[in-house]
Amino acid sequence: MMRRFFRSRGVRKLVRDRLAMVALGVISIYLALFFMMWCGFLVEKEETFERVGANTEVGFFEEPTIEQRLLYLEFYLDNLYSAADSRTPEASLAAIDLYGRLPTLTDPDAVIERIDPLWEVYDELVELYEDDAFSDDPESLPRLEELEAEAATLYTEPEGLMGRLALALGTDRQGRSIFLRALYSIKIAVQIGLVCALISVAIGTILGGAAAFFGGVVDHVIVWLYSTFSAIPYIVLLMVLAAMFLGSAFEGTLVPVYTAFCMTFWIAPCRVIRGEVMKLRELEYVQAATAVGFGRGRILLKHIIPNTTHLMFINFSLLFIGAIKAEVILSFLNLGVKNEPSWGVMIKQATQEVISGFFWQIGAATVFMFVLVLAFNVLSDALQDAFDPKHV
Amino acid sequence: MSKAAFEAGASSVDLTIEDPLLEVRDLKKYFPIRKGVFARHVGDVKAVDGISFRVRRNETLSLVGESGCGKTTAGRTLLRLLAPTGGSALYRPIPNGPQVDLFELSNAKMRGFRSDLQIIFQDPFASLNPRMPVSMIIGEALRVHGLARGAELEDRVSQLLERVGLRAEARNRFPHEFSGGQRQRIGIARALALNPRFIVCDEAVSALDVSIQAQIINLLKDLQEEFNLSFLFIAHDLSVVKYLSDRIAVMYLGRIVETGTTQDIFERAAHPYTQALLSAVPRPDPTLAKDRIVLQGDVPSPMNPPSGCHFRTRCPLAEDRCAETYPDYVRLSATHSAACHLIQPET
Repeated sequence: MMRRFFRSRGVRKLVRDRLAMVALGVISIYLALFFMMWCGFLVEKEETFERVGANTEVGFFEEPTIEQRLLYLEFYLDNLYSAADSRTPEASLAAIDLYGRLPTLTDPDAVIERIDPLWEVYDELVELYEDDAFSDDPESLPRLEELEAEAATLYTEPEGLMGRLALALGTDRQGRSIFLRALYSIKIAVQIGLVCALISVAIGTILGGAAAFFGGVVDHVIVWLYSTFSAIPYIVLLMVLAAMFLGSAFEGTLVPVYTAFCMTFWIAPCRVIRGEVMKLRELEYVQAATAVGFGRGRILLKHIIPNTTHLMFINFSLLFIGAIKAEVILSFLNLGVKNEPSWGVMIKQATQEVISGFFWQIGAATVFMFVLVLAFNVLSDALQDAFDPKHV
Repeated sequence: MSKAAFEAGASSVDLTIEDPLLEVRDLKKYFPIRKGVFARHVGDVKAVDGISFRVRRNETLSLVGESGCGKTTAGRTLLRLLAPTGGSALYRPIPNGPQVDLFELSNAKMRGFRSDLQIIFQDPFASLNPRMPVSMIIGEALRVHGLARGAELEDRVSQLLERVGLRAEARNRFPHEFSGGQRQRIGIARALALNPRFIVCDEAVSALDVSIQAQIINLLKDLQEEFNLSFLFIAHDLSVVKYLSDRIAVMYLGRIVETGTTQDIFERAAHPYTQALLSAVPRPDPTLAKDRIVLQGDVPSPMNPPSGCHFRTRCPLAEDRCAETYPDYVRLSATHSAACHLIQPET
């Protein structure tokens, strides 16, 4: 069965489609990342809440302004200084861990001794900057760079690939790594996409198949059900369903999101599969199966449903991205993902930053999502071309 | 048709047939027409409107007629692939044994008789599941009915394939790898798998090339002899029917208009419709005069058939009385009868 599938005309057509293969490659990378995170590698949930640097640090290709550089410096110096100056200096110093970057000095007195002269330089530079005299003094920029180099020696080098990448896309307003959060959101997105698309296609197939095959009252009830559901604007239904879970035991988990999506998304596959089964059940091989004396369940499961698999594939890929996009909307409205980063949550948080000209968070979330959605759109288009018999 | 008339012999049934394998009485299949929000029943498409015939053991009865005359519906209703509206189908598997009415059976009991009654379809491309290998298509029925399993099943499938003229290796292949004629052979093998007594051949050769048609017809004749089969051969091509059938029933707009042995029909056709059909059969003889009867117009809608004789709107001989009542069957001989006002019964 599998061998035949891989040699079939549809699959050969799909493999010849270069764009589709690129899309498939991109999707595979996302899926691989998803599985790694799902198994606990790469990024864990807690790490997306850790402070990795100063607030709103910019990413790899943007030059920070003088003001930003001074702000970062203040954070890096103050982070150590206030720890060393606290009531439990040893413990506070030992607790400092900017995603693998640790203080180089463990003795509180040494830290204070080391940082005190740096504060003086820092204060002078800030004064210069506030007087708008920074660019007038040719000495100031080298002094700032020297100070930054000094501050850098106070921390160890980050460890490993993830440690180095953590600051690649900057940090948000709480100093959390945008890269890690965007990466972890892949897990959430793919999880929601897979669960919702699988369940919706399964429900849609079962109900659509039953409606068309058994007809009569069953058909009436199912058609009534999906007509009613599709008459309600789906975003409203999503909001109501998500709001219903507020205060329940499932609040804060992904269950409200799954429920809301599955209840609205099954309609599309149900319609399509109902139409296809209505066509198939009149075909002669189905009549032949009846004539041979097979039960209706057997005919439905072995002779009709297998001939609708191309529709299931296409609907699955459409619903997968549908769920990811809808998750963003729900999270933006505060009804979606809670206690975890997701692209929707990131975009929502970014609204404050965008006003002040900081686009790294919204940019990262959008690009990560855009690449996945585009790849899936290309793939589902190619799937339709390859497997739909009407598109020869 | 009234019961009295039926008993008086004014029917389309061949009176010489005693102890038939299958006797169909007054078979009706109406498709309701529904309109409006409440699906109000506004009328019926009378696809098959009371046909009766008998089929002997080991013989072929052909049902011929134009497209839309209800012959395919009749065949499918007979096997209960469509739910019958009325009538009865009395089936007697054992000679002089007990009779069962197939239309009275529950679905579960009917399933027990399904292996006796099989069907071969017209379109060899729609009649085989594209996702199943040939061994599954043929063998599934054997397995589900518990007739064979494992190696025995494989043997049986190979035997069947060889019997219908395919190589046994074909069983691992899928329908799309075969030509139309080969696919039709697979369809025949599937029908034969359960050792049926009666097979409905629903336009079984219409979709094939003429040369392939001949092969398939010969195969069907051989199989009939070998397995003691009875065929209900549904066709629109009289030249095919002539070679294959023992008896012929001509249908027009849901009713049988004439029935008789092949000789009766081809040599002594009485009904104007049958005569028109016969004149449409091409004969490869240029010396024959072209005295074709060309019917005008289309078959009237079975939703709203003409009053009286259904054929009168296209009949070259129609008279006033044809519009008044539907003609009773006139018996021309024990085997031959026709429904037409213009025919005088044999005296």
